Amino acid sequence: MAEPRRWYLITYDIRDPRRWRKVHALLKGYGEWLQLSVFRCSLTDRDREKLRWELSRRMDAVDTLLVIGLCGGCVERVRTINAKEDWPEEPAPFKVL
Amino acid sequence: MNASSTSSKPVVGEPSIRTHALHALAYCERLFYLEEVEELRVADAAVFAGRRLHVQLQEEGERVELELASEALGLHGRVDAVRTREGTLVVYEHKRGRHAPGQDAPEAWPSDRLQAGAYALLVEERFPGAPVECRVRYHQTDTTVRFPLDTALRGAVAAAVARARLLRASRERPPVTQEERKCAKCSLAPVCLPEEERQVAGEERPRLFPEDDVRQVLHVATPGTRVGRAAEELVVTPPEGEGAPSRQPGRMVSALIAHGAVQVSAQALAYCVENDIGVHWFTSGGRYLGGLGGGGGNVHRRLRQFEALRQQDVCLGLARRLVAAKLEGQLRFLLRASRGDSESRQVLASAVRDLRALLPKCAEAPSLEVLLGLEGTGAARYFGALPYLQGEDVDARLRFDGRNRRPPRDRFNAVLGFLYGLVHREVEAAIRAVGLDVAFGFYHQPRGTAGPLGLDVMELFRVPLADMPLVASVNRRAWDADADFEVTSEHVWLRKAGRAKAIELYERRKRETWKHNVLGYSLSYARLVELEVRLLEKEWTGKPGLFATFRLR
Repeated sequence: MAEPRRWYLITYDIRDPRRWRKVHALLKGYGEWLQLSVFRCSLTDRDREKLRWELSRRMDAVDTLLVIGLCGGCVERVRTINAKEDWPEEPAPFKVL
Repeated sequence: MNASSTSSKPVVGEPSIRTHALHALAYCERLFYLEEVEELRVADAAVFAGRRLHVQLQEEGERVELELASEALGLHGRVDAVRTREGTLVVYEHKRGRHAPGQDAPEAWPSDRLQAGAYALLVEERFPGAPVECRVRYHQTDTTVRFPLDTALRGAVAAAVARARLLRASRERPPVTQEERKCAKCSLAPVCLPEEERQVAGEERPRLFPEDDVRQVLHVATPGTRVGRAAEELVVTPPEGEGAPSRQPGRMVSALIAHGAVQVSAQALAYCVENDIGVHWFTSGGRYLGGLGGGGGNVHRRLRQFEALRQQDVCLGLARRLVAAKLEGQLRFLLRASRGDSESRQVLASAVRDLRALLPKCAEAPSLEVLLGLEGTGAARYFGALPYLQGEDVDARLRFDGRNRRPPRDRFNAVLGFLYGLVHREVEAAIRAVGLDVAFGFYHQPRGTAGPLGLDVMELFRVPLADMPLVASVNRRAWDADADFEVTSEHVWLRKAGRAKAIELYERRKRETWKHNVLGYSLSYARLVELEVRLLEKEWTGKPGLFATFRLR
């Protein structure tokens, strides 16, 4: 019984390379970099709010951000070409490297 | 009326109170105490959303934050904004949520009134002479509530400051609030455990216990691997020729576990400490060496632990229950695994009878030495009976034939020892997370690097987290006697493949949910470990009687 998590697609448009690098590095800490300025993250409500707070401190008024929450049905309808991997229903709780 | 005449005189040198803390005080005295005195702070989604609101207000450029402090009032704080409106100083307080329902007009919640009132008093002292008004802006409903700084509000602030001082000087945690719906929205409920305390009073309550940590546990099991940090990522680089580095989003990791010769950079360690990621080290043989994790600010909890565990009767009482719980766990596992199998029942019957006879003796054991004797007798009977739980067709090389360790001399013991190491880590991490000291226990004596409290609490989980899944996996024939083990004349090691199997077995078991027989709700074994440690702390913070009461069915 875990805190519910949901997939989010996060895209941004940052008008300054300095800020862009900061935002990019932060998002890498939360999820996976899919394409230019597009990330996918599996987040709880708490993670999402924390991320948005941290982003709001790194972004400027001219920058834009789009956070798209995806339901289970949406994830099933995702179509990709040459994608790295599919979207697992629930990310693995542990990893052995 | 002058503000300073209404407030009680602060003791010279006493630190002033954060105005924000008065908000917590008005919400729940226990919340105030946990945050301000014990320095426990848990940020949930609402807290981050609130911080974002304040960042956004800053961006909109209409914010005049003002840092104010007053020795006379004994308060300090940062006002969201102060403006002049027709000769009146207006103090603004921004809130993310909705306003309180009023009879004809929107109203401010009492805690918000108090907070705004305290800011108003600070502003009044800084800019004497001007009349002061308070406005609380509720962003969700887009309403602003106005109220004057009147005598009643002054009195309320003074009373709250006095109460806060009193609580801060006290060493007793205030009781759980009577208004339980407040707990449902409180960010500290997972630490405060209000419903477990109410459970003691024997009432039916909704469940508030925190959810599982959904972040990943990262086991690094390849010798020669390096773990580094790149901005917000942990970069795990295997030794040359064994593949490309893998990058893990740092915020999605709850613990980093290094098995054997794994190098973790100082930068990665610093990142882990900062982001509440536990770091733990095992030897390549699977012995738990120790770890990092757990925040500071645990002085009060540790002092209480030391005070409680210095009393011999407290220790003896806890140890009695602990040993009884362990023996009963072993007994129930034997009964359960032999259910419906009359043949093995016959063989197990005497072990079951002996274990059952030991149970009442635990309750009246006069000393820790006697308990150690009882535990030893129980272990001998239990491990003597364990081979009979293994199926007929189990590979002879994986048969259990008596417990041995350091070094393990057969395959079963090699895995069992490794699993016990993982359980030990889990328990120590939970003890650190709760803020207790592993070095001060109530039953075990200090031994090597292992803290006694970790060894104490671990006794509860040996059977459910290690013995049961291992016996089941051997019966399922999940192990390969050749590929998973490295056998030398002296001892048996787990190979890389075997270690990965053991980790998987343990981690899967940990995620299984299970209904607590006393508290009555389902939770995973991973949470159960932390819950037991929190219940142990309750033994000396007012609500004893729940530690070591869980039983397998």
